[in-house]
Amino acid sequence: MAGYEVPRKFPTTVVGSYPKIPPAMELIKKRRSGELSEEEFRKLIKGPISEAVKDQIEAGIDIISDGEQSREDMVVYFAERVQGYRPGDWVRIFDNVYFRKPIIIGELKWTREMIVEDWIYATSISMGRPVKGIITGPYTMMEWSFDLKYGDRRELIIELAKIIRREIDELVARGARYIQVDEPALSTRPWREEAELLKEALDVIFKGLDAKRIVHICYGRLEKIIPYILDYPVDQFDLELKNSNFRLLPYLKEYGYDKELGYGVVDVHSLQIETVEEIKGYIDMLMKMDFIGPEKVYVDPDCGLKRLPRSVAKAKMRNLAEAAKLAREEW
Amino acid sequence: MKIWGMVLGGFPRSRYARYALRDRERGVIPFKDDVEAIDRASVQVIGAQLVAGLPVVVDGMIDWHDIFRPFVDAWRNVTVDGLLRYFDNNFFYRIPVFTGEPDPREYVTPRRVLRFKETADPATLKVVLPGPVSFAFMSKNNSGLSNEELAEKIAYILRDEAKKAIEAGASLVQVDEPFLADIDATKDHARLAAELADKIVEGIEDKAVVTVYFNVPEPSVFEELLNTKARYVMVDVVDAPGRAEKLIRGTGFGSHTPVIGAVDARRIIDDKPSFVEKFLKMVDSGVDEAVVTTSTWLDLIPFRYALRKVYVLGRIVEELAEKNGYEAYTIWR
Repeated sequence: MAGYEVPRKFPTTVVGSYPKIPPAMELIKKRRSGELSEEEFRKLIKGPISEAVKDQIEAGIDIISDGEQSREDMVVYFAERVQGYRPGDWVRIFDNVYFRKPIIIGELKWTREMIVEDWIYATSISMGRPVKGIITGPYTMMEWSFDLKYGDRRELIIELAKIIRREIDELVARGARYIQVDEPALSTRPWREEAELLKEALDVIFKGLDAKRIVHICYGRLEKIIPYILDYPVDQFDLELKNSNFRLLPYLKEYGYDKELGYGVVDVHSLQIETVEEIKGYIDMLMKMDFIGPEKVYVDPDCGLKRLPRSVAKAKMRNLAEAAKLAREEW
Repeated sequence: MKIWGMVLGGFPRSRYARYALRDRERGVIPFKDDVEAIDRASVQVIGAQLVAGLPVVVDGMIDWHDIFRPFVDAWRNVTVDGLLRYFDNNFFYRIPVFTGEPDPREYVTPRRVLRFKETADPATLKVVLPGPVSFAFMSKNNSGLSNEELAEKIAYILRDEAKKAIEAGASLVQVDEPFLADIDATKDHARLAAELADKIVEGIEDKAVVTVYFNVPEPSVFEELLNTKARYVMVDVVDAPGRAEKLIRGTGFGSHTPVIGAVDARRIIDDKPSFVEKFLKMVDSGVDEAVVTTSTWLDLIPFRYALRKVYVLGRIVEELAEKNGYEAYTIWR
């Protein structure tokens, strides 16, 4: 990207989502109720996107996101825009908090761009920093939807993969260099057959793609799933590590991990802001394990920052960027 | 062979129950309005089970945030922490944190039985308890006890809970041990689960069911669990039908009455009788009774689909009984 050089060692990045900045939630609700058209929504959501981008730049993040300000939820957002889905009823996520689990009722089809416009806008104000194109993966879309149409998981995941690939092609055609597919559902079912199912889908998504190919996986039994995913057609796995106390690292070393690593060093489920020293310590710990070089380590949060207060999210990013800077001098 | 159906556990919340709980959390309605909305939803789900002919029903546990929470709220020396994913679901439970030996301030299930047993008539009520192994191993244990000791302490409290529920009029006590289907579950966990389930249902073994769901347990784990004295043992056959078939054909249910979790509680599509039939046929030559149930609680799908699943369950029991010459045990017969 012109005007900004991503550091060769320990570049910093984000997983994607950022706390909703007013009036993002209000705009999402108005769009859903029909009070705003998609076009009006796209225009107005640029305000929150611009704030999210500004926060990331001020914090010193090298590869940023649009903050996913348009997305109420990582599955519902896409389901609302892919033909073949209909809105679902409310299903509980925890306590008395719900999401509308979408329902697949017809043949799935890509009909229009879903995330391209937000990406283009974020890129236009990123001061040259690359912006990740981030999209929910086919396994997670499949697992977190109800299926009344296909009845065959393999057929369904491949159809979803084709739709995702189409959207990614649009992004890459516009210049996206970093493509991240989010698959939080994978680690909840850490069995070989599930990992193989996703591999088939990722082959569709990433084959011949001229961009950095990233898969984000978080929480659950990452150590169980790692042996089955090492041959995925990706350049980088972006992983949650801090929340699980870095227990995954010895496994990565043992399995001869040789891809780039999105190294989750701040806990997005905790309001406690990790200090620069703490984060630098986590980077040092990884380097001392001596199985990956600093050029392959992308320092980032465990997962999306959306559930944190904005001030906490920004402070975590700032400390993360500062720690990476110190690490660059040492390693 | 006699067959009958029951719902495994809790139901999702109706819109009114959801709103009422939300409004109470915001402090805009008094406690009694919240209780009234929950009661209305409970009556609705009990009604759905009665219409389906189910002889044993649940009150739906509409107000339970997760399987552990009502017990956490009712006991001393345990509180809740952050959220943790509940097995492979897009659902999170609050992690119980034990800071000492759990000590009950009150019992959870007996008063529910008293509240709903007349509504349930002519069916009877089942109460559902979290298995002590799942409870202890899925919590943060800062109690100073080992996990095994903590599980035992929990079991002693649940024993009183079960006894009082039966005295209140419950006909069945269910002990849920989903942890045994987890990838990390071992024979030792299963051995402990069986021992502690026996403590909980001591003296009421004939009215007790132990359940494992969300996955098919390893055969070695299931074999250990079969040492329980509980009359009924349940296994989820929906999540991995191939492995479930292998388990049932290989290990079987021992001397227990099989409870087959064959009605898919995590998907909203109507279940096919032929799928349930396949599993019933695996057990029908060796037992004189089998129970068809949902693969897990129904609270992972929307309310209206949960009601639909109850109807489907009832229909499948009737249909398979008629087709195969089984005796259908319903409230109508």
